[in-house]
Amino acid sequence: MDVLHNLALGFAVALTWQNLMFCAIGCTVGTLVGLLPGLGPLATISILLPLTYSIPTGGALIMLAGIYYGAQYGDSVSAITMKIPHASSIVACIDGYQMTLKGKTGLALFTAGVSSFIGGTVAIVVLSFLAPVLGEVALLFGPADYCALMLVGFVCVSFVTTGSLLNGMAMCLIGVLLGQIGTDVNSGMQRFTMNLSFLSDGVGLVSIALGCFGIAEITKNLDNRDERTPFNGKIKLIPTWAEFKRIIPSALRGSVIGSFLGILPGGGPVIAQFAAYAVDKKVSKYKHEIGSGAIEGVAGQAAADEAAARTSFIPLMSIGIPENAVMALMMAAFIIKGIQPGPNMIAGHPDLFWGLVASMWVGNCFLLILNVPLVRYWLSVFKIPYSVLFPSILFFCCIGTYSVNNSLDDIFITAVFGFIGYMFVRLDLDAAPLMLGFILGPMLEENFRRALLLSRGNFTSFITRPISGTLLGFIGIFIVWQVAAFFVQARKTTAQHQQPA
Amino acid sequence: MNDRNLVRGLFLLAISLAFGLTSLRYPIGQFSRAGPGLFPLLVSSLLFLIGLITVARSRFVERVHLDFKMKNIALILASLCGFALISEHLNMIVGIVFMVFCASFAGTSSYSVMRNLKISAGLIAVALAFQKLLGFNLPLY
Repeated sequence: MDVLHNLALGFAVALTWQNLMFCAIGCTVGTLVGLLPGLGPLATISILLPLTYSIPTGGALIMLAGIYYGAQYGDSVSAITMKIPHASSIVACIDGYQMTLKGKTGLALFTAGVSSFIGGTVAIVVLSFLAPVLGEVALLFGPADYCALMLVGFVCVSFVTTGSLLNGMAMCLIGVLLGQIGTDVNSGMQRFTMNLSFLSDGVGLVSIALGCFGIAEITKNLDNRDERTPFNGKIKLIPTWAEFKRIIPSALRGSVIGSFLGILPGGGPVIAQFAAYAVDKKVSKYKHEIGSGAIEGVAGQAAADEAAARTSFIPLMSIGIPENAVMALMMAAFIIKGIQPGPNMIAGHPDLFWGLVASMWVGNCFLLILNVPLVRYWLSVFKIPYSVLFPSILFFCCIGTYSVNNSLDDIFITAVFGFIGYMFVRLDLDAAPLMLGFILGPMLEENFRRALLLSRGNFTSFITRPISGTLLGFIGIFIVWQVAAFFVQARKTTAQHQQPA
Repeated sequence: MNDRNLVRGLFLLAISLAFGLTSLRYPIGQFSRAGPGLFPLLVSSLLFLIGLITVARSRFVERVHLDFKMKNIALILASLCGFALISEHLNMIVGIVFMVFCASFAGTSSYSVMRNLKISAGLIAVALAFQKLLGFNLPLY
């Protein structure tokens, strides 16, 4: 009953006119920017972050969440209609685009919209029951456990987002090192500032995010300017009852899978989509059609995507550790608004927490009501030529960076990170783990130093504590598995090379 | 040298050395009382190790051509820096116009002054709206 009472409080907060408006604006703007080629949720949130500065805290968080799932939805629209996958909706390309080729764009978009709604609803139920419970568990965590948990996050994110543990870990570590720039909180010493006064507060998060995701993405798109056939066909949105019936089971399966995978460290939308798609391919009644434009191929993954996007808030809000790069950015946004996510957030700011949870559901309704009928207008975004679009994106990047501190120096930092981000792109290094490393870096150092202080410099405390010992054990097993897999693969390739000779 | 895997390893080594060698200049302290240099030193050592593995690995996997085009990134960065410099010394409206004109060299083969003027006008209108309606502190004029 407690949960119901809390949810009622949440809806009371979320349903005020002001917050409804922020939620609607967030969803709409997020969808619009998320549709633009090359801008996934990470870039969208970092570009739009400054919009929330002048808004009261509760409204700002609601708007940010709206931007996030709006961007997520916009992404899937561009994947279905144009086969432009961003990081977050790779799976939607497969069956969604096949449906577009068959002339069933409207059905695919409707399916995605309804399934997202179902996924989101299931996830919110999970969120409102699980987050407070997990918050109590979090109080058992000591500094060593936090360190181990963050390392698990690094390993999982590295592996999931880049597919290569080595590259991903490298990016996490670079992120941690970038997070060291600035004043050391323990000794007050300036580190890595090169005697530049504007670096003594550290590098701005928005500068890095916009450099690595905004500027680098624009340049990459300019480099390989491929011809896109703009979508301009007619869409029939409302499905027949028989089609509608096919959406439900698949969406429910996807919701459960997504809700679960969203909670795990390193989890989140991408891995949930793949898992839901794979499950549908195994158990669905129409499994033979999946891959060639089946409703189930869109419904399951869309539901999982949305569910995981919601439940990935759970570790952030209950333990205070973001589990993927987007959540790390959300955490930074929370901190900018003066809210420290963690076990105390639910108790200390129940109105904010439950308001946010309720607003997620309201946002879901907005996405369904606004976007399904309006989708044909959204798609006109694609008719804007890139030569008009990219100076505008560049402009928004500049304004975004500048308005954090009203400082033009930050634009130079963004330019530097734009170049570094471009290097990353060309070297095939994914910048998403870098963001996670950058945001968790200072926290990792703080807990690492505290853990060693408590154990008087003894490293065994990391292994003897049950929580951190278990987590580190997982990492060890994972690394051994990766190394073994590499050698097996290498042996296979050499064997193949030798055979023809 | 034109191997993406090798260059990636060297790039990681360079970053780890840059941070690692600098952190040696700060007090390291002991494990029980860590100084400001200890943690960055540990992290950059780990990164150095990953860099070494990447370099070593590049000898065993197939070479991948490194594709690096200077022109577009240079134009984009120039337009960003120009925007910041002009906004600082003159005003932001001129900065926006410069940015649009400079950046669109990277865009298309068909360079159109008229189109650039239209984009600039649109963006200036957006900037004015930000300043007047959302209360952004932009040095527009």
